[in-house]
Amino acid sequence: MIPIYLKNEFEKINSRKLYSKEVRNFREKAFSELLEKGLPNKKSEEWRFTDLSMINKGDFKISKSQNKPRKDINIANYDFESFYTIVIYNGYFQKNLSPTPPGIKLASSFDFIKDKKWNTNQPRKSSFDLLNTAFMDSVLNLTVEKNTNIDKPLRILFICSGKEELMISPRININLENSSSFNLIEQHVGNCDEYFYNGSIIINLGDNAKLDHVRIQNNSKKTINIANLHVQQKSDSNYSFNHFAFGSALSRINLYAGLIGKRANCALNGLSLSNKNQHLDAHIITEHQATHCISSQNFKSILKDKSSGVFNGRSIVQNNAEKTSSSQSNKNLLLSEESFMNSNPQLEIYTDDVKCSHGSSTGALEPEALFYIRSRGIDQTSAISLLVGGFASEIIEVIENAKIKEYVTKYFDQWISENNQ
Amino acid sequence: MLNIKNLRVGVKDKEILKGLNLHIKPGEIHAVMGRNGSGKSTLSNVITGKEGYNISSGDIIYENNSIIDLSPEERALAGIFMSFQYPVVMPGVNNTYFLKAALNAKLKNSGKKEIDAASFLKIVKKKLAELDMDTSYLKRSVNEGFSGGEKKRNEILQMITLEPKLVIMDETDSGLDIDALKIIANGINKYRSSDRSFLVITHYQRLLRYIEPDIVHVLIDGKFVKSGGKDLAMKLEEKGYRWLDS
Repeated sequence: MIPIYLKNEFEKINSRKLYSKEVRNFREKAFSELLEKGLPNKKSEEWRFTDLSMINKGDFKISKSQNKPRKDINIANYDFESFYTIVIYNGYFQKNLSPTPPGIKLASSFDFIKDKKWNTNQPRKSSFDLLNTAFMDSVLNLTVEKNTNIDKPLRILFICSGKEELMISPRININLENSSSFNLIEQHVGNCDEYFYNGSIIINLGDNAKLDHVRIQNNSKKTINIANLHVQQKSDSNYSFNHFAFGSALSRINLYAGLIGKRANCALNGLSLSNKNQHLDAHIITEHQATHCISSQNFKSILKDKSSGVFNGRSIVQNNAEKTSSSQSNKNLLLSEESFMNSNPQLEIYTDDVKCSHGSSTGALEPEALFYIRSRGIDQTSAISLLVGGFASEIIEVIENAKIKEYVTKYFDQWISENNQ
Repeated sequence: MLNIKNLRVGVKDKEILKGLNLHIKPGEIHAVMGRNGSGKSTLSNVITGKEGYNISSGDIIYENNSIIDLSPEERALAGIFMSFQYPVVMPGVNNTYFLKAALNAKLKNSGKKEIDAASFLKIVKKKLAELDMDTSYLKRSVNEGFSGGEKKRNEILQMITLEPKLVIMDETDSGLDIDALKIIANGINKYRSSDRSFLVITHYQRLLRYIEPDIVHVLIDGKFVKSGGKDLAMKLEEKGYRWLDS
């Protein structure tokens, strides 16, 4: 089952003359698969704790505007100095604001459908991947050529604005050729009330390639943000992912990282802050398919009011992946009686000779620690801030780029001061 | 300095301190000795203001004012400091940051200007040297990965930085080797002064060899059953507590 508005909107997007016959066929194939599969519901193990009624009961529309440049974006609101920036505004790539950085090949076209050099394989294709393919609006194909290192971080800035009930479906394909490297920042901002983001990002790392990916989900707290992220790593590649989820009423990140080459290294970290009725969900899978790879998952959530969260981490070690080293950790801090966290770290190991660990803990602040701090003359409010800050610091400290660290820290401090009364 | 009058304290329905009296004058060192479960930790916790205790009668007078309705931070700002038996580990909370926040809370409370990071570092480095602690302490999280001795040294570092008037040492000697014990005792002895008092709570008289008490109290079943000079501690070491049981 899928909501009726999706059918209507699909008719609309697929009749737009803008798209070629090939693109239409591509969409139709995905949409018919989606019709067969339906959107997930709570009966599915993967969606037990996440309620999708906001999507089912919504009435979202594809963006009316075409690929026209927007004039109402105030770039002074965003730091355009420290990063190369690509802007996607209400689902549309803003070419005028997005000069191609040196060393990167960037194309906004559907050519990846027929061009064999794009490996857009989605090993764990979900209904939301199908929905994304059916509704793709902005497409970015981004290549970093071999042996190239990009000097500044490249940021993809997603801005949502306006009063329309928009659904947007960006598709971003990223290829890092052998021995290339760069820093990617994915930043979601905006102030709109009704908005359904469903983006798919497909990343391929060649031999010895390195990508540091920071995702900052700081969009409006009334919107929906579904992120489908597929990563494939070849030999000796390094992928690091640092996720900061603050925004959205409902968000879900589906991250799959396949380690297909030997000695690949994959470090996934996340920090979620939620209050009021927010629900932030992270489903993380790492799959070891080659020997001597290292992976880690380290996710933390801080929950206030009636907010809730999910961490579902799975580390799969296939039978040909000896000498794997894999760790998983999920720690959650509940700052209110009504907040709720579902934590489920899982290991699936099909070979011997591996080093794997996992752990999870969820709890409130320790009264003993609060007393200790207060006994040094520090008031209760500051004591709570100190402890919560300490809890989060492990994840924030991982950020290498000073500007990003500053941004995240500033937001975090503000959140703490607003939520610690 | 501190005057405890007929103090009765319980946790839930169980009475732990059963009418305790204690009078500490400025500059004095008092030792409280007793077995496990005699009420030693309850005594130090109610002076410092830990929640969860029910005071059914009596009062705690500190510098002429009752403190039983004050919060832990208010008592700390008034000059009361406890060296914890089990200092709390706080992952991710930087040791220097914590210490500076505590000192600034004190400075602010007394209407003084808060200290900046550079000046603070200068002061704290001097204090570290006094306690034979290396500067790596400053970069670590509070008590995280610290050995028993390191934790206790960190307590003393906090004490000599905050310069309290009344120091309660809750089993500071437990889990310490003799070298660490000497360093800590030296730290304390250096901070003895005519206007600073100490309440040293201990199991054994070992610590009292290095920190000489003016008065020793024996706590049994929530009451002081005997008080005397430092020779009382020696006698306890020799004979145990049994001869005092009624």
